[in-house]
Amino acid sequence: MGMGGLNTEAIPSQMSDLRVLACFKATPDFEALREADWATAAAGGVETRYVRRVLNCFDESALELALRLSETAARRGVRAELGALSVGGRDVEPYLKTLVALGYERATRVPPEAAGGESEVAGGESGLDFAPGVVASIIAAYAQRVAHSDLVVLGWRSGPGDSGTVPFRVAEALGWPCLTQVTEVEPLSDDRLRVACVADDGPLRLTLRGPCVLAVGNAVVSHLRVPTLKDRLARRHRPIEVLAAADLGVDIAAQRHRETCLPTGFETIDRSRRGVVIEGQSPHDKAQTLFDSRLRDIMETL
Amino acid sequence: MDLSREGVVDGLQRIVEPGDVITDEKILIESSVDNFRKLQNIFGVHTMPVPAAVVMARSTEKVAAILRFADRHGINVIPRTGGTATEGGLESAVPDSIVIDGSAMNEVVNIDAYNMQATCQCGVPLQVLEDRVRELGLTTGHSPQSKPVAHMGGLVATRSIGQFSTLYGGIEDMVVGLEAVFPNGAVTRIKNVPRRAAGPDIRHVVIGNEGALCFITEVTVKLFPYFPENNVFLGYTLKDMKTGFEALRAVMVNGYKPSVARVYDPGDAGLHFSHFVADDDCVLLFMAEGPAGIAKATAAGVEGIVAAFPECTRVDSAYIETWFNDLCWGPDKITAEDERIRQTRNVNRTTEISADWSSINDIYQAARARIIEEIPDITMMGGHSSHSYINGTNMYFNYFFNVVDVGPAEETTKYYLPIISIICEETLKRGGSIVHHHGIGKARAPWVKDEYGSSYYILETLKQAFDPDGIMNKGTIFPL
Ligand SMILES: Cc1cc2nc3c(=O)[nH]c(=O)nc-3n(C[C@H](O)[C@H](O)[C@H](O)COP(=O)(O)OP(=O)(O)OC[C@H]3O[C@@H](n4cnc5c(N)ncnc54)[C@H](O)[C@@H]3O)c2cc1C
Repeated sequence: MGMGGLNTEAIPSQMSDLRVLACFKATPDFEALREADWATAAAGGVETRYVRRVLNCFDESALELALRLSETAARRGVRAELGALSVGGRDVEPYLKTLVALGYERATRVPPEAAGGESEVAGGESGLDFAPGVVASIIAAYAQRVAHSDLVVLGWRSGPGDSGTVPFRVAEALGWPCLTQVTEVEPLSDDRLRVACVADDGPLRLTLRGPCVLAVGNAVVSHLRVPTLKDRLARRHRPIEVLAAADLGVDIAAQRHRETCLPTGFETIDRSRRGVVIEGQSPHDKAQTLFDSRLRDIMETL
Repeated sequence: MDLSREGVVDGLQRIVEPGDVITDEKILIESSVDNFRKLQNIFGVHTMPVPAAVVMARSTEKVAAILRFADRHGINVIPRTGGTATEGGLESAVPDSIVIDGSAMNEVVNIDAYNMQATCQCGVPLQVLEDRVRELGLTTGHSPQSKPVAHMGGLVATRSIGQFSTLYGGIEDMVVGLEAVFPNGAVTRIKNVPRRAAGPDIRHVVIGNEGALCFITEVTVKLFPYFPENNVFLGYTLKDMKTGFEALRAVMVNGYKPSVARVYDPGDAGLHFSHFVADDDCVLLFMAEGPAGIAKATAAGVEGIVAAFPECTRVDSAYIETWFNDLCWGPDKITAEDERIRQTRNVNRTTEISADWSSINDIYQAARARIIEEIPDITMMGGHSSHSYINGTNMYFNYFFNVVDVGPAEETTKYYLPIISIICEETLKRGGSIVHHHGIGKARAPWVKDEYGSSYYILETLKQAFDPDGIMNKGTIFPL
């Protein structure tokens, strides 16, 4: 592990037929925050420093879909090589170690600050929480220059206050198409994939040839499998690669400067509706009251 | 049993409103297990005998009538309230049982803020009672993680314990009086007094009976003033559990009563505190509460004691406070966890034991090492101590494994029971107790005689005296 430059030896061998890069972000577990704790942090936004991190749920789907893809590929005689990338601080390392234990061959993080400026405080804010352009440049550069990826899979968005544009920007930078709301991926051969996604008028299945970015939406697969302690032990010496953005040709400070829109506050909009609890001795009584008080009139007008 | 399945249903319909006798197949099947075999419910695979009916109890008199009916015909009865049991206490060990569901007996009967006690029926969810007394600036002091879903009857029946136990004690320290119905229909009320020395304390025949002696219909618990504004949180990281146990011991034996005193091992700490700990860190944490002067003095005292352990590094209290505020499990978390298990086949189980200060670390180390060595497919093996006393503490083993190459029904035999077995062996060997707060249920009943030794005579005699026909929750506490 170290902030080394590009490791050319690590460039995947020609053995792998399909190189898949799955990207993820560790986000604060907003569900662990009480409403009262949505206090405004000094820097603007919600104070999330004290909450544990979880895998962004859409990225979690993407990571598991990539594992399943490689298993299906193996059964079909195609070798898929999996890489995982996160633009994140030290607090993403536990996730990278888990992914290595699960069979990801490369696990890389790119610290969100320019080299030397990385905040090494565990749990600290990433500094790139609202800089989709920078994050996308890093991912695209890594996919192209280091991992030589054929496929990039990542969640279609992360959490409250995100831009939802990272997958599109990655695709744009790579000059690849981007499929959104992806729910399933299946390799047919070394260059053909069958992808299920949800379009405006319903679910559809596409067969694709050539590289692309898949932005995973509400997939049925929403949980990453868990490695055993023995898997962890067996792969504990595999390094977690730490690359500086500069090594990928990305100048964080300069790009950051160009991203002029920054969210400075969040507020939830109260859309709760008033509920009425219907009292009654039995389900039958309650149904009758519901019908008499609310439904009868509506039914009659119909 | 001298009745057919239909005969049981028919008999019940004569005692209660027919609508209160539930025979819906899905509900019956779900009622044949609890969290001990939760995988069966999650995957829809069922192996336990299906009860004849779930009957909703609506009054003490009806409970008495149902029990008399069951006793007369030798029908197994399974008392139930919140349904959050983890040790098989709700499992139907034999076919055609009656599940008596007390969840509709959900009236808060009286909140007596002058005498600082509250009386409620067995089906009152603890959260409901707690919310009601909080409106008066009071608290029950009871806060098990299942507070949003467990009910007062079940909480008393299992000798449950909550997160603030180091200050308020377990449920046995809170119950002042209660009402219970025995299998012969006898309704017994134990009056609410501050203390008495009029013979043995018979509350303890009922508290912790796990539905194997009687049905609890009403309980009265103590109330305490609630001062959340005075809460002080303290957190530390450290590198080994032995030091953690020593620090807990030092706090206890020096006479301090923080409401929360816990130490997490690195595995368990990783689950809760990964945002501020390293891989190999343990976490020691405390909460002091009460009137301002006491909370402040307690926190200062604890801080002073922990300062004598240079291995402990202080962390920002806000980490502990934020974490603590999200510790309880409501239906939303339970459903999410079921879905996670369905997808990953990665199961989380827990087993809690207690022992004196001399043995606790050895039990923890020995059981943990054996489980990792002997049990396949373990993904996390850790735990924490969360309830401390002057003479010892508990260990809450928290572990995850992948269910591999077997169906959901075999999860208990391939993984769960062998793990429980190791924990019980290592605990008994060193003189500890194999059950700290979840109850024996059916899961740990095979070890009950070893747990009790010569005092099993007393326990066994209670069963013979109060349930001579053996109709109360067969297989629970007393192995079949
Ligand atoms: C997510 C989760 C967190 C938990 N956290 C804690 C915790 O922090 N501390 C703790 O102590 N426990 C905990 N538990 C275990 C469980 O919540 C407790 O054992 C609780 O006391 C059970 O209450 P219940 O109302 O759900 O009882 P049930 O599950 O309905 O029944 C439990 C047992 O009591 C018997 N019983 C139920 N009602 C009666 C009655 N009226 N009369 C006689 N017997 C009866 C049943 O036959 C059964 O054996 C947890 C469980 C879960 C699922």
